[in-house]
Amino acid sequence: MDNTEPIDPLQRPIPVILCLMVAAVVHVPLLLMKLPLKSFDTNFHIFFASHYFHHWFDPWNTKCFAGFSQATYPPLSHQWVAAISPIFGFDYAYMVVQLASILLLVVGVYRFSLLWTNARAASLAAVASVFVGAESFLVYHAGQLATTSAAPIYLNALPFLYAWLRYGNGRAFVKGSLLFITAAAVHHATLIFGSVLFAAPVLALAFLDRTDGRRAATGKVLARAVAIGLLVGVAVAIVLLPYWIALIHYPITQTPIPHESRANYILSPEYGLTYFIVPWGALILALPFIFLHGSENVKLRPLLFGFWVAFLLGLGGTTPVGSILLGRAFKVLTMERFSYWATLLALPFVGILAAKLIRRFRLAAVAGLMVLATLTCALAVAWSSIEPPDPDNYSVDPVASWLNRDGHDQYRYFTLGFGNKISRLAMMTDASSVDGEWNSGRLLPELMQYSGAALTSSKYFGTGGLDALRAILKHADRYGLKWVFVRDHYYDALLSYAGWRPVDYLEDKTIVIWSKDGVPPAQPVNAPQRPPHWQGLMWGTLPFGSSILAILVLLLIPERRRQHAEAGLHVTPDQGVAARSLAS
Amino acid sequence: MKRGALLAFVLIAATVAFIVIGTVWPISTAVAFAGGERLLESSSTPEAAARNLGQEIRLKDWGKAYSSLANRSKFTEQEFVEDVTGYYPSLRTYSSLDHFEIRPLHASDSDADVEFTLDWSTVVGTLPDTRTVHVVRNGDHWEVDWPMQKKPVLPPQVIPVEYLRWDVINRGPGDDWGVQDVDGPNVRIVDMHPVQRAEGVVVLGELLNEDVLPAYVSVTATLHRKDQSAIGTESAFDRISHLLLPKQVTPFLIQFPNASLSEVSSIRMEPFSTLVSASADPVIEIDNEQLNPAPDAALTGQLINQSGQVVNVAHVLGTLYDKSGNLVWVVDQYVDRALLPQTPVSFKIPIPEDLAKKVSSQRTVVATYSFGGFL
Repeated sequence: MDNTEPIDPLQRPIPVILCLMVAAVVHVPLLLMKLPLKSFDTNFHIFFASHYFHHWFDPWNTKCFAGFSQATYPPLSHQWVAAISPIFGFDYAYMVVQLASILLLVVGVYRFSLLWTNARAASLAAVASVFVGAESFLVYHAGQLATTSAAPIYLNALPFLYAWLRYGNGRAFVKGSLLFITAAAVHHATLIFGSVLFAAPVLALAFLDRTDGRRAATGKVLARAVAIGLLVGVAVAIVLLPYWIALIHYPITQTPIPHESRANYILSPEYGLTYFIVPWGALILALPFIFLHGSENVKLRPLLFGFWVAFLLGLGGTTPVGSILLGRAFKVLTMERFSYWATLLALPFVGILAAKLIRRFRLAAVAGLMVLATLTCALAVAWSSIEPPDPDNYSVDPVASWLNRDGHDQYRYFTLGFGNKISRLAMMTDASSVDGEWNSGRLLPELMQYSGAALTSSKYFGTGGLDALRAILKHADRYGLKWVFVRDHYYDALLSYAGWRPVDYLEDKTIVIWSKDGVPPAQPVNAPQRPPHWQGLMWGTLPFGSSILAILVLLLIPERRRQHAEAGLHVTPDQGVAARSLAS
Repeated sequence: MKRGALLAFVLIAATVAFIVIGTVWPISTAVAFAGGERLLESSSTPEAAARNLGQEIRLKDWGKAYSSLANRSKFTEQEFVEDVTGYYPSLRTYSSLDHFEIRPLHASDSDADVEFTLDWSTVVGTLPDTRTVHVVRNGDHWEVDWPMQKKPVLPPQVIPVEYLRWDVINRGPGDDWGVQDVDGPNVRIVDMHPVQRAEGVVVLGELLNEDVLPAYVSVTATLHRKDQSAIGTESAFDRISHLLLPKQVTPFLIQFPNASLSEVSSIRMEPFSTLVSASADPVIEIDNEQLNPAPDAALTGQLINQSGQVVNVAHVLGTLYDKSGNLVWVVDQYVDRALLPQTPVSFKIPIPEDLAKKVSSQRTVVATYSFGGFL
């Protein structure tokens, strides 16, 4: 191993702290501008956080779907937003948690890449992670806080997994396990699919490496894999027990709701642009290298296979692979998260490619790569303005004020034409809505039996959406549903023929309030589905506690130098791990 | 070839193959997003030409749809679009084509006729539109000869409007609608009986406004078992005319899906009424009302708007009686075209075949809606 530091700055690894500064320079201004608030899901995540702020130990939220359990969604990212919201307010608390995830991703990509390549390439991969289109797309357009928070934690856990599998390092076992549990508490789907796409390649690498240096018997590696798998499995089962109970008692029977990420991107090029071109950006140019280089190097092949599967799944309905491998889950999951994971799995290759290009073409390569990276990131960030999830910029404050006065909140309500602002409204009002954005949390049969998502956007879901709207209007009396706030007059004829009448106007008559007379005040519904108090205590304690424990263990139990090396944390000048990984 | 290069080749080839398979034989979700479009479709048969036209209408690709028509020289693209979506704002204007069906009627080497049924998804439900279209061969492919319906042109005229109007003055703009210091108008259920149908129990009836004031009305029914426990509570939703002028009668139909009449011991009916502003305008005349016997039993007629304003949406409710004058069934239909002043618009409401032979008379009422106005 060559331990001498190259003098040429274009050959040396970029310090991680510098990579973090690059991430901060790019993303802090965007987050300070609250750009994610324009995204699809940010308001939804803040709404969940606001509930935890007011009811930390009670996941039952009455503000949407006439009552639903937030134990149907892993709580950690929302709880962190809630926990720091007294300091920053909800909006900036969200931005702080999102920034932390972005910074964690830089460290995670660096550590994960060290498993496969040298420090130089790993540091370039870390820099690339700042500009990855899929990351910016999910942060600023999709607003997927949980996905973008869980993946970095997961990436940071994987080097510990390797150190445990390969060397039997006890500290790595503890740290890796805690990080896996924390990642699951943020987003369960990342752990479920990450096990296959991320952990399986690391497991394969540990097997391939077992004869290098300190030898480890195949049986030992296998036994360690089983041990950590069992421990993490049991721990996740306990930490998220209310989630599993809710899932078993009330399995998701929601009729599949269409999502553009499941389209064929060639037959529907408009969706190909959004879900392939934007998230991948200039990484598309690296695809041939990834396949060629990944195939030529035996120890990179597990990573290549993981990438390949994620890549195919990320293509949505462009190939039949997603529907074959995922079955019914294909119609429930959105596929852009697979593209996100695929880009993360591609980053070690990107780091290697960038290192090669810079070694050969020097500053010209640096300039070219920076231009491509900037354009990729810029396009993904700008996509929330080019194709805004909600083009109308208006305030829901008057609606919330109206609902909160004169006893209007004794009745339930929903909106039509409010887009992704319904969670913001739900956060601001005391009244209960029959609508909401978390489709898997819905319990009202009128909503579950049709292929429509939020009622407020019924018309965009065709017959399924409009059938759900009519079904809920038919049962207005049952749910104490008295108010409908309308910003889209498409729905006026239905409301009129169903016996509703306009009673008031807001925002210069752009919002019409329709009412139905004779409706009794709202009564609690779905009471049997309400999690008992002990589950609320678990939900408020274990997920957040696991993250605190993980932070304490990582801070208080230092890495020994050898363990650093084992966990892929050592910074070798140029070859190092690369000599091990790329020798083939 | 090195093993690494071979592996790369295999993975890339497999990726390309998956993409080709997914595009040539797309999965159902992908087909739905592409508007039912598939690659390699050509208008090589009359059915294929009609199918392509249907897909283009579904995708609202009007340019492509228009350019595929055989008789496009006889009208502009704008006229074609207005023929499909309506010349005036109506339910059709704000609808999307949910799906369509094609049934061949006749075919020769040079031309063919197909029945083209378009199911439009509107805010009040799916509305079918059936047209017989002529398809002609043009070289190696077929083109649809679109049956344009002529745009109604109204002569300049003055229509005197004399109608009753009732205004209600509330305490202030902040009042909740319905919170009034007066009793609701006096309404009464004049007929009611339950019927067992395949889809469940249906409660039919008629409601009369006995008052001298207009009323907003609704009817709720609760089915009870012998032990007085409730089976379910439902309301008439849109199978009723919610606005009743003095002395007017409306039919109502309340559905209890999956319920069984054998379980029902009693039914509690709750009519509701409240005072509302109303006007007798627009007046809709129903002309040429006719009960057509089975097969293809239907209530047909024409709506004529007697007012000077365009009515955007009309809802026809037909009450069907037997020879003894007993209520047999309630049928309804939304008219998906706007009603222009003095311009007849036909309606045809199917009657269930098993009930058609019992029906000997009917009474029809029409509820109207105009965009920007109230019922």
